[in-house]
Amino acid sequence: MTDLLEDRIAISTDGSVTALSGKVEFGQGIRTGFAQIVADELDVALERVTVLMGDTDRVPHDFGTFGSHSTQQEAPILRRAAAFGRGQLLARAATRLGVTVDRLDTKDGHVVSGTTRIPYGELVATEPLSGAVPDEVAFLPEQRRRYVGRPLPRVEARDIVTGRATYAADVRLAGMLHGAIVRPPVRGAKVKSVDDATARAMPGVVAIVRDGDLVGVVAERADQARAAADAVDVDWLAGRPDEGPDADIPLREDPVIETALAGAATRRTAQYVLPSIANAPIGPGAAVADVTAEGATIYGATHRPFGLREGVAKRLGLSEETVHFAPRMSSGTYGRSSSIDVALEAAVLSKRAKRPVNLQWTREEEFAYSPSRPEVTLEVSGGLDANGDIVAWSFDEHTANLHTAGWFDPDPERAGGTQGRNAIPPYRIPHLNVVLHMEPTPLRTANFRSLAAAENVFAIESFVDELAHAAGQDPVAFRLRHLDDARLRATIEAVAARSGWGRTPLARHGLGIACTIYHGTPVTQVAEVEVSDDGVVRLVAVWAVVDPGFVINPEGVRNQVEGGIQQSASWTMFEELRHHDGRIAATSWDTYPIATFRDAPERIDVLVAGDASQPSTGVGEPGAVPTAAAIANAVFAACGARVRELPMRPERVRAAMAAG
Amino acid sequence: MQIALRINGSAHAVDVPRNATLLSVLRDDLGMTGTRYGCGIGRCGACFVIGDGRAVASCLLSAEQASRMEIRTVEGLAEDSGLTPVQEAFVAEDAMQCGYCTSGMVISATALLERSPHPTEAEVRESLATNLCRCGVYGRAIRAVLRAADR
Repeated sequence: MTDLLEDRIAISTDGSVTALSGKVEFGQGIRTGFAQIVADELDVALERVTVLMGDTDRVPHDFGTFGSHSTQQEAPILRRAAAFGRGQLLARAATRLGVTVDRLDTKDGHVVSGTTRIPYGELVATEPLSGAVPDEVAFLPEQRRRYVGRPLPRVEARDIVTGRATYAADVRLAGMLHGAIVRPPVRGAKVKSVDDATARAMPGVVAIVRDGDLVGVVAERADQARAAADAVDVDWLAGRPDEGPDADIPLREDPVIETALAGAATRRTAQYVLPSIANAPIGPGAAVADVTAEGATIYGATHRPFGLREGVAKRLGLSEETVHFAPRMSSGTYGRSSSIDVALEAAVLSKRAKRPVNLQWTREEEFAYSPSRPEVTLEVSGGLDANGDIVAWSFDEHTANLHTAGWFDPDPERAGGTQGRNAIPPYRIPHLNVVLHMEPTPLRTANFRSLAAAENVFAIESFVDELAHAAGQDPVAFRLRHLDDARLRATIEAVAARSGWGRTPLARHGLGIACTIYHGTPVTQVAEVEVSDDGVVRLVAVWAVVDPGFVINPEGVRNQVEGGIQQSASWTMFEELRHHDGRIAATSWDTYPIATFRDAPERIDVLVAGDASQPSTGVGEPGAVPTAAAIANAVFAACGARVRELPMRPERVRAAMAAG
Repeated sequence: MQIALRINGSAHAVDVPRNATLLSVLRDDLGMTGTRYGCGIGRCGACFVIGDGRAVASCLLSAEQASRMEIRTVEGLAEDSGLTPVQEAFVAEDAMQCGYCTSGMVISATALLERSPHPTEAEVRESLATNLCRCGVYGRAIRAVLRAADR
């Protein structure tokens, strides 16, 4: 598909620059990175660049912001567009001055020639920049870059620290009402009957809405809407049975895997279990819908602006062109907002109330009804030959579909990239058999940071550690002797050096290592833990080395990797979304604790060792992927307890100590 | 009911339901949306404001209780378009990702430094323990608070 300059870059007559992207910002820092790229290639000050993202009336179509792909996909396009735009500005100035382009240069938003300085704004006064962006364009030489490669704070930072940043729930429109939803006891229950007599008479209530199995209240104030929703009496018909495909999908097949395992000099088998976990954003899902007979505007946050537009149009019976999605700051999404649930509900309420409606879920709703990561069980068998080399590896991943993504493709190639992500180990293994088992689930699920990679890599990297110990080898040396990828090897060697791998740790302390390549980004982590006699694990420190290729904002990369580690440590140590018969037991931070300031490790040391000769790859998810195994391996090193089921509660650690 | 509030040094009069929380009054009556809803039971810190010098959960405080206090919100910390040392330090340390918890963290940090200008790292952790962050910027936020304290 050809990219048009006018779809990507607009320069105003005052010289300010707007760059356009279908990707969305939710804290991963891509708006800042994109601004750095455009400012450099257009040769303007960073402050003059605004990056407009995800607004369906303005930006080019985009499938969605997933898989740590944004920088990889968008950075080259924006860079080419900006460079092409700079070329057009030079050409226009050359015509105007009657000189050849080689006599001209750019400087800080101006075309310059000797003492003549023409502001960019003057050059676009009669005709905006446009045209198909060619594949090959002339870039500014590296030494003239002012922003790319430099550590810069986020462009939204001032608005965030002053409270000015506008999240979906902060949108205020004239005549706006507030909504609240009446929830069934279990997901997918059907409405039998509704008694809204009490609710109707409550203060501030404007409308009680029933639309199929959606029951909600619209009121003048949010607290009034909630109180009235709690007073609506709905008779529900039981929930939905488990859902999702039931299929076995071979990702790698070895017809002689059983023979190879049987013939191994040493054989090990283990099962790893991870619970369902919640996205648990600090801000529950929210959206504001303004629906009229002519169309709809939705203010919110989603990974899929165009998917949201399509979904809302369908639900309201409108044509897609009449629906406008206007993104606001995201209150935290790690996959959760790939679902457009809140926007659909707000849209229905607004349509019925004929007024704009602001809907923010409660904390209880966010835990009980928003999509979660499914439970996963990983079964691994491995065999070593007499030299201690891995000869055979059989891996069975049991997981569930990600409903709200709306897709499941049983093609092994596709499934291996989604629900089976990172199930193939990076190691050199002669006999490799990997099967993805898709199983129905009672949960409402969605894409969750790294999809299945965090789960698969917990099992793979724990098991490699078990094999290393079975072979009597150092876990770093054992990994290196089975790895060919030079960039991954380099991260392992670097993190071993930074963490002082091989040193004698303090009493009760242990170091564990884990590595992965996630969507082209190699990352290796070493965790240091302290384990008490009664099985309490304290995460002391994590060292990470990451190679995301050419680095646009090293501080942004560090922040993402640190955050990935901290969040993943929280999953590993504390988190489990308990449920029974389709009913989620967690309703608050008391019943679903996450890591706090008290639990943060003493240090998270991230070295960004990007190979600048390689294309930029993502960092939003990779940091979260190896942490669980690094912690589990460190626990083993500290006390000999091999914990194969998460979260790492003291009783599990004590049981593993006794078994070890 | 009629309630008179003092917020960020200014007087505000509102007519709200008897049980209205300070959080709902700030957000829905006064349009001061920098204070965020997170959990409604004071466990996450997103809605923190400074009440009589202490960081308090505005979701647990009734507007009536708040009327007897001097309230400061995230919008009122800095004068004009400037930033306070705490806000500057959060920017300098890039101590945010989605930013939803940041208002509350800035409030807690401000209240801490006003009563204890040179806290230890352990004090920072304890004082901000109710401020949950899901994106995982705890380490950066600790550095930001200590950096602001150095100023």
